[in-house]
Amino acid sequence: MQRKRLNLHLRFQNMVIRVKAFFFVICCFLAVCAAAQVPAAIDFECNACPPAEALVKLSLQTKVNIAFNDRFFSRCSPVTIQARGASLPALLDQISACAKVSYKIDGDQVIFFRKALKYTLSGYIQDIETGERLIGAGIRSASDKGVGTVSNEFGFFSLKLDDGEHKIVVSFIGYRNENINLLLTSDRFATIKMRANSELPEVVISALPASDSRLHSVETQNNLSLNSLNALPMPGGEADLMRMAALQPGIQTGVDGVGGMHVRGGNADQNLILLDDVPVYNPSHALGLFSIFNPDMVSHARMWKGDFPARYGGRASSVVDIRTRDGDFRQYHANASVGLFASSLSVEGPLRRDRSAFLVAGRTTYFEPWIDFFSKRGNLITFSGDNAGYRFYDLNVKLNYVLSDRDRLYFSYYYGGDLFQNQFDQRYTDDAGLQTDRYTLNSNWGNNIAALRWNHVVSKNLFSNTTIRYSQFYYQSQLAFNSTFLYANGKTGTLADYGLLYQTFIRDWSGKTDFTYYPTDQATVRWGLSYTLHDFRPGAISVNFLQPGQSPTAIDSLANILDNNEQLGADEAEAYFDMEIRPSKNWRVEMGVNGSTFQIRNTGYRALLPRFRVLRSGPRGWTQWVGYHRNTQYLHQIGSFNISLPFELWVPSTPKVPPEQVWQLSLGIGKQHRKWGWQVEGYYKRLDRVLTFLTSNDALVTGGAEDASGWEDRVATGEGRSYGAELSIEKSFGSTTGSIAYTLSKTDRRFPDINSGETFPFRYDRLHDLKISLHQRIASWLSADLVWAYATGNPITLAGVKYTHQSPGNDLKREVYVFTEVNGYRLPAYHRLDVAFNARFTSGRVRHGFQLGVYNAYNRYNPFYLYLDGRSGEKGKAIQYTLLPILPAFRYEIKL
Amino acid sequence: MKHRLSYLPRFILIAFIFLVQCAREVTIDIPEEETRIVAVCHFTPGETFKVKVSLSQPVYDSGDPVIPEKVDLTLAKEGAFIDKLYAATSDDGQLYWESRDLAEPGVAFSITARVDGMKTIYATSAVPPHYPVAPVQIKPADISETILSDGRRLLNVPLELHLEQLPEKNPFFAFSLKHDVDVLQNVGGEWVTDYTYEGLPTNYSADGRTLSLLYDLSEPVVLISDKFWSEDHRTLYLDAKIPYDPAKHEKPRRIYVEWRTLSEEFYRYHLSIARQGSTLPLSDPDAVYNNVQDGYGNFSGYSVEVEMVELPF
Repeated sequence: MQRKRLNLHLRFQNMVIRVKAFFFVICCFLAVCAAAQVPAAIDFECNACPPAEALVKLSLQTKVNIAFNDRFFSRCSPVTIQARGASLPALLDQISACAKVSYKIDGDQVIFFRKALKYTLSGYIQDIETGERLIGAGIRSASDKGVGTVSNEFGFFSLKLDDGEHKIVVSFIGYRNENINLLLTSDRFATIKMRANSELPEVVISALPASDSRLHSVETQNNLSLNSLNALPMPGGEADLMRMAALQPGIQTGVDGVGGMHVRGGNADQNLILLDDVPVYNPSHALGLFSIFNPDMVSHARMWKGDFPARYGGRASSVVDIRTRDGDFRQYHANASVGLFASSLSVEGPLRRDRSAFLVAGRTTYFEPWIDFFSKRGNLITFSGDNAGYRFYDLNVKLNYVLSDRDRLYFSYYYGGDLFQNQFDQRYTDDAGLQTDRYTLNSNWGNNIAALRWNHVVSKNLFSNTTIRYSQFYYQSQLAFNSTFLYANGKTGTLADYGLLYQTFIRDWSGKTDFTYYPTDQATVRWGLSYTLHDFRPGAISVNFLQPGQSPTAIDSLANILDNNEQLGADEAEAYFDMEIRPSKNWRVEMGVNGSTFQIRNTGYRALLPRFRVLRSGPRGWTQWVGYHRNTQYLHQIGSFNISLPFELWVPSTPKVPPEQVWQLSLGIGKQHRKWGWQVEGYYKRLDRVLTFLTSNDALVTGGAEDASGWEDRVATGEGRSYGAELSIEKSFGSTTGSIAYTLSKTDRRFPDINSGETFPFRYDRLHDLKISLHQRIASWLSADLVWAYATGNPITLAGVKYTHQSPGNDLKREVYVFTEVNGYRLPAYHRLDVAFNARFTSGRVRHGFQLGVYNAYNRYNPFYLYLDGRSGEKGKAIQYTLLPILPAFRYEIKL
Repeated sequence: MKHRLSYLPRFILIAFIFLVQCAREVTIDIPEEETRIVAVCHFTPGETFKVKVSLSQPVYDSGDPVIPEKVDLTLAKEGAFIDKLYAATSDDGQLYWESRDLAEPGVAFSITARVDGMKTIYATSAVPPHYPVAPVQIKPADISETILSDGRRLLNVPLELHLEQLPEKNPFFAFSLKHDVDVLQNVGGEWVTDYTYEGLPTNYSADGRTLSLLYDLSEPVVLISDKFWSEDHRTLYLDAKIPYDPAKHEKPRRIYVEWRTLSEEFYRYHLSIARQGSTLPLSDPDAVYNNVQDGYGNFSGYSVEVEMVELPF
């Protein structure tokens, strides 16, 4: 008990005497009148009377029974009253003003009772060893059921409790529950320290929202469990947060991750992905195979598929809020991991013990051997070329400094990118000689992200956070072309020699401030505002003729695009008000409004977006909820493929390109019963003014990137809808845990400029989507994980018929493939099985972790793209491209 | 420990079941599409209707398209039969079908084609009202020259194709540029035209926005996206590029500007084909616009004017 008290840092100086019983004093009984009436106007005088005496006198005078405990007025001074024609309540108020009491009048009875005193318990919840603030930890009073809260994004909480003794229970996944006996006689500010489980943490591969069911029956967000993140089998053993997120129902990804994440039929650019509160424009490496989030850095991750709070704006479909770890305030640590594709190293420790800490993590890859391996497999997409290479890298830095108990500074920085180079030759021979065309491509892209945040506890129930943010995404590609000719006589000549540089970026500077206010134990109010200065360069191409005088007409047109080095600026301001009310133990109401303005080229857009959600928690673990939200989006990603590849352009809404708008209605029911839980949620989502890019006829392709000239006139605006039902079943406790996530959905699009204006299936429309995750704890140090995913094949546009277009007398002719319907065919179903064994053990102070497994265990050749061979002579013969065949998964981690 | 290990066989069994049942080959089933008549005809006032007829092929057919020799092809005006087209052969030996009647503006023409064993096809269209461009003016001071590495010269001629009146809807236009180059010879100290290269196709350049909204077609014209005319854009700025060789006494002489006002059928058909022409493997092709009932191809009208501009050079 002594240790616990020390750990809890809750020392209470002043003890008060507990009131054990009420003594009711009957002042006077006037027996004659059976049913006395309370006089409307009373003349009453009392000079320097103690309140108790005054009440007795009033009772006698008015023949009204007044019941009270004389201890209520023990600290009151005598009162003097001289009233003429006063009402009874007025006199009662006057007499009892000195005491914290209230009363109830019932006929000729007045009963006094003591007002319950409320005090605020506020502070932070953090790890006892590292000082890491714990996000989303539950804190509740076991003695006052239904009163509880969760720590916010910075580990802060504020809880209003009645005065007196409480048993406080603090819980967090992966940590031991802390039970605190607390005598609350005044407002308290405390830092609650929790101890992590030393054993292999319980892995909950959750398809259900993770939450403390006693606090919130169903959370609107999914807390993505980091324990399961490291346990899940991933390609090469590289733990990946976004792949884990994709195990939730309602979330579709492109094949093996390429093509972005699509939440309930939304586009990939409609996901607001935040890293320490900073929007991330390109969340993936290797075109989507891996995410940019180094697992060593991630402290907490949450995801909303809809109904997200008003404090999140700017994207239309979903929110992924990722917070990085603070670093250890007390000890130095190093963590290294080696996988098949990548290795990482992180170092953390105190800069000043208990005052400041740092955390630095880096990650890099070694793909070249794998590229060589895959290049020899003709049926896989490969990096063709004689000298191809690819790698990605990440660097994360986190610094934080405790200014005081109520103030803290954080600095977060991320720098990461991808590098791809390829060189190949094409040779043509004729009688005159040999022509050699050499293409050299160097592409690099990545993010620069920084945030400086200041947390300030304004008062016991008001918390503020102010952030300055910077986010940049860039893509750059250099293509060099050299054409030489070796004549039959042995002489050589240069036919062409020029370089092409393509650049695009989006850059944001922004500031925001957020407040969280806890007015009562039944309400949490948030408000805030932000301003963002956007800087866009949708795409600029410059041409450099390496040979003086080289100006063939085909290239000359490129040179003109130098004039299209378009750079756009835009201002975005946002304000929100968010409120969560718990009117009773079983009801919770979340409502808010997000207002925003977007200013560009003397054109302004405004939006006022309501968010609303009601939850009811019934008996025996039942929960029902309904929600509605509207979102608007001023930024869009467009490109030749419309599948959110890094060289697709981020562009703003302009007078020609209006903001996208989305509204969604969802309705759900769920039940939690012992180890099992399930929920079903239906939704209907409407996307207005959704965008797609129309490929230009003579697209200037530089490593996949397309010239952005005239992009505003090449954007098609349409509409879309998505509706479906999501089923989640989960077993969260025991040695065998797991989840089943099934989605039945339909998503379509309609653009006046595409498919003759007819509705067609969305590129990632999948009727069935099933993900099964199993975790088997074999021993305290050993576990096995299995993931099986199945999805209806993606729609694809294929032609069954072709003909030749040629006008009479015209030499020009063209083979026309009759694509009768956009996305009218389906690729074969996608499915794969991943298996991994995870072992963790400790040797002295060193922790070891192994993962050994296999991704796509039965080597399913899931079609990434299908190309019908129009000259094969065989019906249905197609060339199928597969991204990831069977891949081993191996990772070794060591923590010091 | 023993109890926990008892779960292991169950775990492995589940994995094994998936391993066995899910490993199978992928097959693509492309539905069989019936062969249909393909008719291609673009008509303009003052000219006869010339219709190229062929048959569609399965997409995997590597052979040339079948050109039916027996076609019953009739022409109707405002729904009334006016002509039966006859077979003709072009200079390069292509078989096509031609009318005796001439196309007229603002009148709905339709064709019906029958081939034995095929569904009869039917298509209709009309020539739209013409929206001309203002007379093209070329200022000598704006013309510039670039010396190419092979000694030739490249003449850069700025052109402004200005639409004086823009239709309220369906601003569907196309253009083409051609030029003549004279080859001179010295006759008695005076340079005179020896012969002329006529109707050479003229390359052009433009700003990025303009280029991105132009589509090369399988017709000798360039399609202008209707979005080009947004925000009251009325003028198409082009730089005509005319190479010539002074060493061979060549001299650019004139430019022909062909300006077409397109029917909706012409515009949408060719735009949809142009959009499916991307070679990017993951790009989404668009469905082909088709106004030929029970068949494929296109039957569409356009109006045209050609302006000849002498080069002040």
